[in-house]
Amino acid sequence: MRGVALAALVLGWLTVSTSSGGPQAISSQQAFLNRYCISCHTEGSKPRGVVPISLEKLDLTRVSQNAGLWEKVARNVSAGVMPPANAPRPDAQASRVFQDWLTTELDRASQANPKPGRPMLHRLNRAEYANAIRDLLDLQIDAAGLLPPDDSAYGFDNVADALGISPALQERYIAAAMKIAAVAVGDSRVSPDGVVYRIRQDVSQDRHIDGLPLGTIGGTQVRHTFPLDGEYVLQAKLYRTNLNIVRGLESAHTVEFSVDGYSVHTATVGGVEDLESLFQKPTDTGDAVDQRLRVRIPVKAGARNVAVAFLQESQVAGAGRLQNYQRSTVDNFDWSGQPHIQTLTITGPFGITGPGDTPSRRRVFTCRPTSTSAEVQCARQIVSALARRAYRQPVTAADMQRIMSFFETGRRSGGFEAGIQAALQRILSSPQFVFRIERDPVPGVAHRITDVELASRLSFFLWSSIPDDRLLQLAANGSLQRPAVLEAEVRRMLADERSSALVENFAGQWLRLRNLRNFSPNSDLYPDFDDNLRQAFRRETELLFDSVMREDRNILDLMTADYTFVNERLARHYGISGIYGSQFRRVPVTEQARKGLLGQGSFLAVTSHAERTSPVLRGKWVLENILGLSVPPPPAAVPPLKERVAGEKPRTMREQMAEHRINPVCANCHKVMDAIGFSLENFDPVGAWRDKDADAMIDASGELADGTRVNGVVELRQALTKHPELFATTMTEKLLTYGLGRGVDYNDMPAVRGIVRDAAKDGYRFSRIVMGIVRSTPFQMRMAPEKESEGIDDVRH
Amino acid sequence: MFVTRKSLSRRTVLKAMGGVIGLPFLESMVPAFGTRVGAATTPRRFGVVYFPNGAIMQQFTPATVGSGFAFTPILKPLEPFKDSLVVVTNLTRSHPGSQVGDHAVSAAGFLTGVWPKRTEAEDVLANTSIDQIVAKQVGQETPLPSLELATEDFTGYVGGCSPGFSCVYMNTISWRTPTTPLPMETNPRAAFERIFGEAGTAQERSERIQGQRSILDSISEEAVSLQKGLGVRDRARLNDYLDNIREIERRIQQVERRNGSQVRTPDAPLGVPDSFDEHVNLMFDLTAAAWQADVTRVFTFMMSRELSQRTYPQIGVTEQHHTVSHHQNNAAKIATMVNVNTYYIRFFARFLDNLRSIPDGDGSLLDHSMLVYGAGMGDSNSHASDPLPMVLVGGGVGTGHRHIKVATQTPVGVLWSTVADRFGAPRIEKYGDGEGMIDGLF
Repeated sequence: MRGVALAALVLGWLTVSTSSGGPQAISSQQAFLNRYCISCHTEGSKPRGVVPISLEKLDLTRVSQNAGLWEKVARNVSAGVMPPANAPRPDAQASRVFQDWLTTELDRASQANPKPGRPMLHRLNRAEYANAIRDLLDLQIDAAGLLPPDDSAYGFDNVADALGISPALQERYIAAAMKIAAVAVGDSRVSPDGVVYRIRQDVSQDRHIDGLPLGTIGGTQVRHTFPLDGEYVLQAKLYRTNLNIVRGLESAHTVEFSVDGYSVHTATVGGVEDLESLFQKPTDTGDAVDQRLRVRIPVKAGARNVAVAFLQESQVAGAGRLQNYQRSTVDNFDWSGQPHIQTLTITGPFGITGPGDTPSRRRVFTCRPTSTSAEVQCARQIVSALARRAYRQPVTAADMQRIMSFFETGRRSGGFEAGIQAALQRILSSPQFVFRIERDPVPGVAHRITDVELASRLSFFLWSSIPDDRLLQLAANGSLQRPAVLEAEVRRMLADERSSALVENFAGQWLRLRNLRNFSPNSDLYPDFDDNLRQAFRRETELLFDSVMREDRNILDLMTADYTFVNERLARHYGISGIYGSQFRRVPVTEQARKGLLGQGSFLAVTSHAERTSPVLRGKWVLENILGLSVPPPPAAVPPLKERVAGEKPRTMREQMAEHRINPVCANCHKVMDAIGFSLENFDPVGAWRDKDADAMIDASGELADGTRVNGVVELRQALTKHPELFATTMTEKLLTYGLGRGVDYNDMPAVRGIVRDAAKDGYRFSRIVMGIVRSTPFQMRMAPEKESEGIDDVRH
Repeated sequence: MFVTRKSLSRRTVLKAMGGVIGLPFLESMVPAFGTRVGAATTPRRFGVVYFPNGAIMQQFTPATVGSGFAFTPILKPLEPFKDSLVVVTNLTRSHPGSQVGDHAVSAAGFLTGVWPKRTEAEDVLANTSIDQIVAKQVGQETPLPSLELATEDFTGYVGGCSPGFSCVYMNTISWRTPTTPLPMETNPRAAFERIFGEAGTAQERSERIQGQRSILDSISEEAVSLQKGLGVRDRARLNDYLDNIREIERRIQQVERRNGSQVRTPDAPLGVPDSFDEHVNLMFDLTAAAWQADVTRVFTFMMSRELSQRTYPQIGVTEQHHTVSHHQNNAAKIATMVNVNTYYIRFFARFLDNLRSIPDGDGSLLDHSMLVYGAGMGDSNSHASDPLPMVLVGGGVGTGHRHIKVATQTPVGVLWSTVADRFGAPRIEKYGDGEGMIDGLF
């Protein structure tokens, strides 16, 4: 029956029944299979683009024997992808009965024989390393400068399997430990260093930038760690045109440097004299102007906000020229208009006066020895506290011994503080810091993880960081696994500001926000697009996710929210009037098309190419991230879209992709993907609304896999959220992958179903999903394989 | 993916060392290079030095063809290296006679031998540059397959910098693939850290190595004790961790055994120097040290950018480079431009002198390399597409002191196929716009 709604997934709140329903039930399920599936899913079936897997010989009384295959069946039927739209399809009732039976069987098998998964020794990724240092030492480090980027798997860069170690990385850890220990303790042997902060050229600097002092425009603000008390040189350089002429010297502007909000230097650039000089000796004038933007100042050690920006002048006094486009750096030959800062360089320290009173020193030196004889005792106190937090588990006597021997060496050559520094360096180099260690006393047996191990799992899941003292305490006295305590801790952790790691790392990867940094639309076609807009796209979606998390909302709000977050730049892009200022604020969304993720610039941009939209990428994104279906890669040697021949009538995206529908090899997958993408065609590559493409009104109609017809994004959204458990299941799988640090496979599906069923009882609240994950078997238990070679690469040679 | 010892490429392992020590660490440093330059021995290193805005070709190109030519005013600083030097004349960049997009086409077309796609947007297209092809051949065993350096920072400019051509085309001369320009590092400190990993003085770095060893000992002992109670896969992973440590320790020993203190690694620069002299010399010194430490074997250095507007008061040139280059046949201006051209070559000569003084196996670094000094623009005033200034130096050129004049408007790609062939790369019949090779060049 065509047009019937998506076969509803089992309503889900049926409890797992204890019997499989007897031979009559089995035979009716077999009949269902025979009628709707076996015609294609048979032995020796002819390939139709893909070869259908055979379901013929499966024993329905022993579902657990082919659990992997059956889980695929359950997924495809529930998403409405199978049977395909042009084949005989069961009605909603029959489908539901089949699904209920199948998932009940699978859940039952899993309960009887839990398989909590085979995790791999898990090392900290770069973000976790940086957060661990922040929480351990109250020190902010530039992790990207110290460590190489991590590989990802299953869409996340915290998956244990993909986080290998090589000698190169190992060596970087040791080098990083050395540097961090030196800065944390305030080692005055640090040699001067120069850090260059760049501003992208496509940042418009003709308006206020969020975070910078009010009353300024353009420029940049950075949080820089000054290692020691001493003098530092701040130097800014202005952008020049292609002909090396400094931009923006037509009229005078004041550049202000500030540290922690205090102005430390101002300089004037531009004006009549500079302009005249510029046209006589452009390069020399440019160099002379840049020289004014240099100051050497004493700064106290610690992390400080350093900003350089232009003071905003009144509109009347300012350049006040007409500008064609939003982006203020459109023409590389144009020397007029607003000046732009290119780099801010901070060099130093010079003339070191001391280690200063930094947060990290306060954190490390919890005692001060009053005499040489008291040094060892104080050192032991410091070291044991640091090691306990760094290793996330009780510190053994052997550990202490190892660390203290480095203290001794350091103390002999440089005194007490040098000893502590050496000890800290040793702690940070330890495999117990870099790896998350979980034990398997008996191979082949599923067992609960310890409280100590649970504390780490919780903190790396919700905070991407080490557990705090409270968590460690609860773990130490054995109360963490008590349900009431566990729930209270999860709530506390979600409410803590450190849970913003979930926004940055989970949402950032699940929703592909990190890819925005590489999105560069063709600047000829989209000259308005600047980095301010790119940043705004990211921020908007982050804030939406953050609101769902912190307000404990229904996760479906991500798809349907009637509010969003904009600043002036973004509002202008979306055509929302009356929004002024660079800060983000919550606004209601009245345009139906803009509600939720599907209407947000971030999604629309990362699924586009530089010159055009990609219905395929958009369809794929929705299939993978909303419906939880994996899309196989295209076959090799797919030719690119044909270029438009001069004089030929321009073709719409739909016309250009006609080949996808004609060629049966392609049609299988593309029918589904393209239809979704076409319904989003009203959004151009930078997420702006359009009614026309290639001079024709956009046809945003299409048919989804289950036969539902949609026209435009609103109907697409309605179709996708009609069965909330679909989205909930997908998001739970992603969050579970992220929380476990391993791919989720068919063995975990019963747990996922359980979490979704439970969350449905409470309006799919965010915290309910998180709690479900935390309480689930895969999160609370583990099982090491018996044999070394069980399903993994052989590591011995 | 999970890294096992089997899958550790030599490069991964070597990356560790290059990062820390910057000293030669190859097992054997004396391959059979042959006794003398002049025999057909394959050079090991390749470098390209590019200068912008063209040259006064009448004072660049030697008057006579063949052996033993007299050194022209601009080439004079290279005379001490005459026995390892070949001048090639009559090469052209793509689209000879055209001035469209001149600066962009000169830079982007030099090592790629093509006319880059005409676009001011992000859909740039050129060709894989010859240095990358050579790097594939000789650079796979070093931590950095190649090194790209420059001195003027115009990175990230969106839009066009030469009429019709994107700024991307002028910011680099190296292309990893036809659509992937390689960024050039302009900050000597960043270049230093890429090459040697850690900043600090040579003394500090050496102390660091010592400190490392005791840490390595301690953490391997710790890792062994951690293995108890771990599952079988986790134990295996820790075993690899231990292997890594042993590998690092072994390398440290090897280095110490060979007493690598001969390497003149400079102290880490603080940042971009204010003076052009200092900046360029620093980049050349870093390159020489990188070659000596075998951190890389291929480099390209764009001494300044096409359309450069620098002034050189230190040699009495107060007008901007690009302005000076448009001499309009005025004698005084021509003389100034010759002054600038010669000034640039003097930096290169100093670099060659450095390379010649650094021992390498049974010779010097210069003996076992081939360097190119040239540009994608000939006569500066007319932005001429040809003849291009092109000098090849080093043991790799075979017999030196020759001036080779090829057929008029021979595409520069023909030279590059010949160079690639010299390095033992698979023969390229057509490189860029060129076809075939130059017979008897080496």
